[in-house]
Amino acid sequence: MTERLDNEAVVERALDEAKRRDGVEAEAYLRDSQGTSIEIIDGKVESAEVETERGLGVRVLDERRIGFAYTSDLSPIGIAECVDLAIANARVTSPDEAISFATAPIATDGDLRIFDAGYESHDVAEKTELCLAIEAAARRVDPRITSFYKTSYGDGAGVTVVATTAGAFGTYRSTTFGAGTACVATEGDDKQIGGFGDGGRTFATIDPGRIGDEAARRALEKLRARAFKTQRIDIVLEPYRAMELVGAIAALFSAENVLKGKSLLAGKMDQRVASELVTLRDEGRRVGGRATSPFDGEGTPTQDVVLLREGVLAGYLHSIKTAKRLGATPTGNARRGSYAGTPHAGISNLYIEAGRTPATELVRGADRALALTSLLNLHTIDPISGEFSLGATGTFLERGAPQYPVKAITVAGNLVALLTAIAAVGDDLRFGSSGIGSPTLLVRDVSVGGE
Amino acid sequence: MPTDTLVRSFVLTETDAARVLRTALSQGGDWAEVFWERHRVLSLVFDDGKLEEATSGTDQGAGIRVLLGDRTVYADGNVTDVDDLTALAGRAAGAVGRSAPDRPIAELRRVEVLPPSEVRIDPRDVPIEQKVRNLELANAVARGHDERIAQVTVVYRESVQDVVIANTDGQFATDRRVRLVFAVNAVAKAEGLQQTGYEAIGGTVGFEQMSEDAVADAARTAARRAILNLEAEPAPAGTYTVVVSSEAGGTLIHETVGHGLEADFNDRGLSVYAGKLGQRVASELVTVVDDGSLPGRRGTSAVDDEGTPTRQNVLIENGILRRYLTDRKYAKKMDLPLSGNARRQSFRHLPIPRMTTTMIAPGKTEPQEIVRSVEGGVFVRKMGGGQVDPVSGHFAFEISEGYKIRGGTVAEAIRGATLTGHAPTVMNSIDMVGSDLGFSIGTCGKDGQGAPVADAQPTIRIPQIVIGGIVRESKP
Repeated sequence: MTERLDNEAVVERALDEAKRRDGVEAEAYLRDSQGTSIEIIDGKVESAEVETERGLGVRVLDERRIGFAYTSDLSPIGIAECVDLAIANARVTSPDEAISFATAPIATDGDLRIFDAGYESHDVAEKTELCLAIEAAARRVDPRITSFYKTSYGDGAGVTVVATTAGAFGTYRSTTFGAGTACVATEGDDKQIGGFGDGGRTFATIDPGRIGDEAARRALEKLRARAFKTQRIDIVLEPYRAMELVGAIAALFSAENVLKGKSLLAGKMDQRVASELVTLRDEGRRVGGRATSPFDGEGTPTQDVVLLREGVLAGYLHSIKTAKRLGATPTGNARRGSYAGTPHAGISNLYIEAGRTPATELVRGADRALALTSLLNLHTIDPISGEFSLGATGTFLERGAPQYPVKAITVAGNLVALLTAIAAVGDDLRFGSSGIGSPTLLVRDVSVGGE
Repeated sequence: MPTDTLVRSFVLTETDAARVLRTALSQGGDWAEVFWERHRVLSLVFDDGKLEEATSGTDQGAGIRVLLGDRTVYADGNVTDVDDLTALAGRAAGAVGRSAPDRPIAELRRVEVLPPSEVRIDPRDVPIEQKVRNLELANAVARGHDERIAQVTVVYRESVQDVVIANTDGQFATDRRVRLVFAVNAVAKAEGLQQTGYEAIGGTVGFEQMSEDAVADAARTAARRAILNLEAEPAPAGTYTVVVSSEAGGTLIHETVGHGLEADFNDRGLSVYAGKLGQRVASELVTVVDDGSLPGRRGTSAVDDEGTPTRQNVLIENGILRRYLTDRKYAKKMDLPLSGNARRQSFRHLPIPRMTTTMIAPGKTEPQEIVRSVEGGVFVRKMGGGQVDPVSGHFAFEISEGYKIRGGTVAEAIRGATLTGHAPTVMNSIDMVGSDLGFSIGTCGKDGQGAPVADAQPTIRIPQIVIGGIVRESKP
C-alpha cells in the first residue's frame, strides 16, 4: 500500500511544497468524508451504498496571479505534483491585487451542533426501517397512493481542513442525515408524482411520518387538474415553493456578480428594493443549520449577514477578494462545492424571516389566488436579467378555500419585481435540505399563462 | 500518455480485474462489476476582462457493484493503486454480509469496439497559452459586436475520462472519452435593462474543433442574442401555434419523449409511455432516435458505463413506440434488449438509463414552407434548458431566441418565454416536420447525476401550445 499521510500532514506537506518556491503563497483545502445510502422501492431494498472521498485542492498566488489544482492522490508525490500544477496554472492567469489568503488562525466553535458523535451507531437495519416507515406513512394518507418512484436515505461524515502559508489553520467535523421519497398518486388514468425530503445534522432530525405525509399530500393535490385561463392573479407560495425562488435570488446578492455588473442590485445599497415585509438573512452560524460551518472555503469565520432589512438592501455576500474590491469586510461566504472546486461568493443558510401573519389567514387575504404546487425549469431562471418563465401546477383558491387543481400553466416575471410584490409573509418559516428557508408568501398580480 | 503525471497511474489489467471481482464475490452475490475511472480536467474562465481561473486536476477512483437477486450493493471511493481497489472490493463484499463459497467467474475477454469519435488533436498536447488566446479572442469579438455588450464570460473545459469496466460475465471494456466545451455568455445593457445571450460548442472531439473561426462564431452568436434580447418585446402569454427551428437544438425531444422512454420510469408503469410498445404515441410524422455512437457528438462514447457497446436505437418509428432506453438492471427486469444507455456521472454513482444523442429524424417538408404556413404564431430559433415530470408528462422548456410569426414570415423578437404542455398530446399534434436537422449540446440532470448529452431535430410545427410570458391586461 501507498504511504498514507493523515489529513493535517497532507495539508502541511502541500504548504511546505509551495514555500520551497520563492515568493509563492498557498492555501490548501482538504476534505475527507465517508457516507452510506439506501434506496427502497415499494417496500423492497433496491440498493445499499458505502462511499469514501478524500482529496486536496491547492490555490497558489505567484506574483499576484492565482492558480488552482486538485488531486485525489494524497501521497507525497501526488501532493508535490498538485502544487506544481497549481503554480503552472498561475503563470497564465491575470494579475489581481485584490486576491489574498486568510492570515489568522481560526477558532473552532463547539456550539454549532453540526457534528453527531453517534454517526456510526446507526446500522443498515435501522436505516431500512426508516425508509419503510416513510412509505408506510405515505400509504396511510390515502389509498390512491399506489406506488413509489423511490425512497432513499443518505448520511455522511467528514473532516474539512483549510490552511494557508500566511498562518491560517482551521479544521472541523460535520455530519449530515437525510431521507426522502417520491410517491405516485393514481386516480383512473391520472398519475401524479409528489416528493418530499428532510433531514439535518443528526439522525433524529429525520421524521419519517412527516416525510411520508408531505410527499403523499403533494402527489394527491395535483390529481384531476384542469386547464387555466391566461391571466394576472395573486399567487401563494408555500414555504417549499418559496424556498425555490429564494434560492434563485441568491445570485443577486453575490458581491462577485455585483462587481461584474451581473446583479440588478449593484449600486442599490441602502435603497428599498423589496417589500418592507421582507427581511432576508444569510446565517452562516445558525445552530444545527444544514449549511452551517465555523469558517468558509477560504478560512474566514462565518457570520450572520443581513441582506435585506425590511426591504432595504443591507449587504452583499463576500469572499476575501470581493470585500477588498468593495472596501467591505469578508462575510465568510466563500463557498466551495468540493476539494475540486475554487471558492466563490455564495450562500449558506439563506432565509426570509418569519412574518406575523398566520399562514392560513394569509391565504384568506386574497379574493382569488393560485397556490403553486410545483415549479418546472427553475434552473433556467436568469439571475442577470432577473427574468423567469417557469412551468407550473397549482390549486385555484377563492377567499382562501381550494376550488380545483390546475395544470399546464406558466408563471413569469422578474425576480426584483417579485420581491417588491410580496404582500404578506407567513409565520411558518421552514428550512429545506440545502439550508435555504422561507415562510409562506403571498405575491400580488403575477403573469400566469394557460389557455 | 505523455502528460498524465499528476496521479500515479495504474492500468487495470485483466488479471487484476479478475482478482478484484473474486474479492467482490467472496461473501456471496450473483454478479459483480468493477468500474474504474481516471478523470483529468482543465478549465479556464475568462471573466470581467481577465483570465480569472486556471484549474486542473485529476480524480481517480472506482465503484464496485455486487448483485444479490434484485438487491445491489455498491462501494465507491478514490483509489491510487490495485491494493486500494482490492480493499474497496472487500468493503463491497463486507456489505453483502453473507458467507458463501467463491463463485467461479468467467474468463475476462476484451469488448472490442472501434472508438466512434476521432480525436485528431489531443487537447493536452496544445499549449495552455493557445487555449488562453482563444478565450481572449472570444472576449474581444463579443465586446466588439456592439457597444452595449457590458460583460463577457468565456469558459473552456477539457475533460479526458479513461474508464475500465469489467464484470463476472467475462466482459472487459476500456474507453477514453475526450470532451471539450467552449461557452460564451454575454451581458448587454441599456436603460436599466440587462439581458444575456449564450452559445456553446463542443463534443467528444479533439482541439481541431476549437479553431479561431469556431470560437469567434460562438462569441458573435452569444453577443447577437444578448442584443436581440435587449431589443425584444417581453413574450406574450397564452396558447399559440409554434414553429421550432432546426437551429433551436433538441431540448424539446429530450424532455417530451427522451426521459419518458428511460426504462426506469417505465418499469412499474410510472411513465406516460409505459406499456405502450408497439402503440401509437406520436404523430406518424415523428421518428425518434437515440444514438450513442454518432461520431463527435457530446453524448457519444464507444461503450456505455457498463461496458455495453453504444448503438443507434430507433425509439419511435413513424409515431409507433419501438424501444426503451435500458441499462442492465432494467433490461433484465423488463426482459428488454440492452440499448447501450447505462450512464453514470462518475465512479461515485450507480449507472442509470440515460439518453446520449437524441433526435427527431428529418421529414420531407421544406423548412421555409413550415414558417409560411403560420398566419400568427411564434418562431423558436434557439431553445435553452428544459424539464419534464415523466409521470404526468408535464414539461417546460426555455426559449432563448424567439420571434413572432406574422403572415407567414418571421417578425419581431420576443424574450423571456417558456413553452409548456403535456408531452404525448404535443407529440401527437406535430403536423409538419422539416427536411433539415440541427444539433445542440447540453448537460442533463437526473437523480442528482449530470451526463453530457446532445440533441437534434428538424424544423417542426406544433399547432397549439402554451407559451409563458407576460400578461399585459389586469385581472379579469
